[in-house]
Amino acid sequence: MRPLGVGLVFWPELAPLLDDTDLVGVIEIEPQGFWEKLPCGSGACYRPNGGLLRNIAQYPQPKLLHGVGQPVGGVTCDPVDATPSLRGAVDILRPVWVSEHLSFNRTYRDAAVTEAGFLLPPRQSTAGVFAAADNIVRYASMTGSPVAFETGVNYLQPRADELDDGAWFARVAEQARCGILLDLHNLWCNQRNGRERVRDVLARMPLDRVWEVHLAGGMALGGYWLDAHSDAVAPELLELAAEVVPKLPNLGAIVFEILPQHLPRIGIDGVGRQLEQLAKLWALRAPHYAVTSPATHPHPAYLATTDAHRELGRNLRELAEWENTLAAAIRGDAVNSSCFADLAQDAGIAVYRQLIGDARRSNLTRALRYTILLLLAMLGSDETETILDRYFMTTAPDAYAALEAEGFARFLRDQSALLAGVPHLAEVLAFEHALLRASLYAEPAELAWSSDPTEIFAALDAGRLPRGLPVVRTTMRIAAQ
Amino acid sequence: MISELNPQPLPPRSLERVRIYVDADVSYDLKRMNKVVANVLGKLGCGGCHSGRILEFLDMREFMVNPKTLDVEGRMGAQF
Repeated sequence: MRPLGVGLVFWPELAPLLDDTDLVGVIEIEPQGFWEKLPCGSGACYRPNGGLLRNIAQYPQPKLLHGVGQPVGGVTCDPVDATPSLRGAVDILRPVWVSEHLSFNRTYRDAAVTEAGFLLPPRQSTAGVFAAADNIVRYASMTGSPVAFETGVNYLQPRADELDDGAWFARVAEQARCGILLDLHNLWCNQRNGRERVRDVLARMPLDRVWEVHLAGGMALGGYWLDAHSDAVAPELLELAAEVVPKLPNLGAIVFEILPQHLPRIGIDGVGRQLEQLAKLWALRAPHYAVTSPATHPHPAYLATTDAHRELGRNLRELAEWENTLAAAIRGDAVNSSCFADLAQDAGIAVYRQLIGDARRSNLTRALRYTILLLLAMLGSDETETILDRYFMTTAPDAYAALEAEGFARFLRDQSALLAGVPHLAEVLAFEHALLRASLYAEPAELAWSSDPTEIFAALDAGRLPRGLPVVRTTMRIAAQ
Repeated sequence: MISELNPQPLPPRSLERVRIYVDADVSYDLKRMNKVVANVLGKLGCGGCHSGRILEFLDMREFMVNPKTLDVEGRMGAQF
């Protein structure tokens, strides 16, 4: 694979580092973070922020595209056609290769596709290998690009009836003839949480297929180590990476991941220091292996065999049962599976439940910031969480903040006693909901305020309830043009 | 008074901009209003599309409610 160097996952907050091409040799983009999802006709569609992608394209560094919304490990496809948006991102950014997670994030529930709310571990079986390989080939066709899959984090305990992690990754890669994005922090999490040792996983994997390495920092939760993308890379993991990198003959990039929400923990200078650490790892590559011609990129060349499809067809139902059972266990629903009933007893289920709840609450905090602040200020955190939990029980998650917020806004609008009991809640909610609908659907709105809204927002920004404000009745019109 | 706001802190999409019109006799703090709109509309994408853990609600909860006294209070320099 063409060696690109050291880089990071793009977030606007990290832009100050990107002009230093010595420090940042490659930029990875997670396109779904800059898409919106909205109703289109009888279904839905994705709407990318093309302006942002074109701005990123102007950086001189080579680009990588890292998908986080259409994972390749499951049997339930995205009901929304992501092809135009993915191809658009490829056309604008010209990535050297693209990658996706070897996970699943959707299941069928009552004959409809339901979002799981998180990237979940797939069934590690022979049928799963064929299903994943088919998905990877399809993904290559969708994007017109070489594809690597990411070695995923898995908070479940290992099972006697599944392929071990190393064999699972190896068989998918060989079957799909694709690249591997070796996420060392994921494997390190898995080891710390009771799955295989990283070294044992690597011993089973075709290391010549590793095109890219991900490194990140994590955090603890309830005895588990999370792939939280929340901190600097742990020294122990850096040591492990230094041991692994020289064994990767086709390594093309080492990428540092940190979510912008966690940037204050290490600061922008801290990210720079992480990139310097990664550059030291990059220098450990075995130079005589380096392949520099872009023409030699491996490309998935999986040819579906009759045997493979026969095997997959026989076991498709088992794969779907795994996915439905895992999603149901996480929701807390009754598990009616003859094969996987024991999943509900896995302590990792509670971790996924917590992470999905965190993601949903955070999405609402982003898109309905002042509504949430007002609830917290008036009711306190416990009662606010109770309201959020009641909403979660009634509505499936959507990873897109705007749609999640739309659902919660509609839920709150029906809570008449709550709206009557919290000063300005109806006004603040109507305002934020109108902004969302104007942005998503170009839908105009007319709002009535009983006080100056900037005074209300100023109070909330300062952590105060907006009480005793002068009465100023005004009308606000919101329009999208 | 007409307040025209571009709600996107990110480069804009090739789509419409959200505009806000208010009564002429009210002098809103337009700078604050602009920030509010940017806060609300700045991150509508796939916030949960990764394997990380995001803690914005927990941060906001700690900001609004002192976990020891359960008093509602602001915290100087709080960021979320």
